[in-house]
Amino acid sequence: MSENVYVVSAAMVPFGKHRSSSYVGLAVPPLIDALRSAGVSKEDIDAVWVGHSYGGMMTGQRICKEIGLGTVPTVNVDNACSSGATAVHEAWEAISRGDIDVAVVIGVEKLTQFGGGTLPLSPEDREVKQGIVMPAVYAMRAMRYLHETEATPEDLALVSVKARKHGALNPFAQFRSEVTVDEVLAARPVADPLTLLMCCPTGDGASVVVLASEQARARLGVRGMRVAASILHSGQVAEGYRDMTAPEISKHSAHDAYEAAGIGPEDLDMIELHDAFSIAELVYYETFGLAERGRGIALIRDGRTTFGGDVVVNPSGGLLAKGHPVGASGVAQIAEAFWQLTGTAGDRQIEDARWAMTHVTGGGTAGLDHGACTIHLFEAA
Amino acid sequence: MTAATATEVLVSSPVADLESDGLLGEFPEGPRLVGTTCDACGNTMIGTRIVCSDCVGTDVTRVALPTAGVLYTFTRLHVGAEGVRPLGYVDFDGDVRTLADLRETEDAPLMPGIRVALGVDGDAWWFAPEATDASIAPAATEATEASEEEK
Ligand SMILES: [Zn+2]
Repeated sequence: MSENVYVVSAAMVPFGKHRSSSYVGLAVPPLIDALRSAGVSKEDIDAVWVGHSYGGMMTGQRICKEIGLGTVPTVNVDNACSSGATAVHEAWEAISRGDIDVAVVIGVEKLTQFGGGTLPLSPEDREVKQGIVMPAVYAMRAMRYLHETEATPEDLALVSVKARKHGALNPFAQFRSEVTVDEVLAARPVADPLTLLMCCPTGDGASVVVLASEQARARLGVRGMRVAASILHSGQVAEGYRDMTAPEISKHSAHDAYEAAGIGPEDLDMIELHDAFSIAELVYYETFGLAERGRGIALIRDGRTTFGGDVVVNPSGGLLAKGHPVGASGVAQIAEAFWQLTGTAGDRQIEDARWAMTHVTGGGTAGLDHGACTIHLFEAA
Repeated sequence: MTAATATEVLVSSPVADLESDGLLGEFPEGPRLVGTTCDACGNTMIGTRIVCSDCVGTDVTRVALPTAGVLYTFTRLHVGAEGVRPLGYVDFDGDVRTLADLRETEDAPLMPGIRVALGVDGDAWWFAPEATDASIAPAATEATEASEEEK
């Protein structure tokens, strides 16, 4: 048990509105690129996991057959925004157990198929029947956070400004232009206190990573990065009071990840976290132990989470600027960590990056903070 | 839950939960939000439920939830066809929380932490700041206990 597992390759298409591309059209190019860049042939692959939420039946098989990749198990994984990272977790577990040597993980989503509007949630959910949408969930978090702390709408805007600054450096980002605090605050209101520029955009995309055992990595002769922790948690119901500014699912996941890797928040060089809405980043600073409760605002105000700071949060631009094609996001975060820890991140390279965290949650479900949360920790190899 | 014997096959039957998924119900005291209380452990849950999410007991009782509570947080939703729509979480005594439509006025704006009271009109229900403007308070027949006391 517990073989070392490495990410040996990563690829993605820039996130954006790719209206002319299907799930297959989005995912096949990064699949080919990920295999080529690590020198992996079809015959090397033992299994495939595919994270998506809206791709429909056999999305993974539809993609893989285009390159004649069959016979081996292909597993389609849905955990909402955590789908891609959950797929990585499953692949990691199989290699870690020693069952297989090489796994391909695909994260893919096409949100433009819905023609706009908020993310479709399960119509069977009690609160969805009452009209809940994801922006409202995060807006209510933000309203309570502003009520309990000294945070202001300007702090929420600063998160967006930082995300767009990072995204401007990332060729894979949906938004490549910077914005100002005034522009963010003056944008169209979506759900008070959140404006449009405090919300992640709708888009399409795909990202692919290849995971390998120590032995397979040596055979391929690639450097890669080591998976130091892979944690998946599910939401626990609260029928009554829940502190929406202290998400317990992400807190428990981070705790378990730090413990598994034997490191703490002070060791991290970068974090890709689930900033679906700008409030989330402030809350997660505190959840992950970067700041005391209610003091996350100090990090964003003082520039301690951008390039040159203590830890670079969302060097890719995050969900706010890079984009958030649900099932693809968790894999794309790991691709960003891969590029940073292998010194191939170009203009947005973090100097001497050694430790990376990636974090995605998933799902608006009545009574749960989130349905799923996946946290990975990686170490440069 | 009692354990089945090794030779007993349990035949599970589906619940017609789609027929009872509204949160507003009729009670002797009038229209109220529906809750479910576990007979075994006392856990109270929003809506019509068949099993306790804490002790997994299946002996549960339909109850009327209080007509007033505390607004934990809220938002005004600007997307969708309905114009600006205030929506929030209301916490009742007994540790039950529900999502609810909200109403407010300039004199009684929404704020986290304020007390709000249930209003009902036919199938529609909402919460509004307690004991404020009569035009947004519940209709006289559905007056809350708190506003009754104040009269
Ligand atoms: Zn119970």
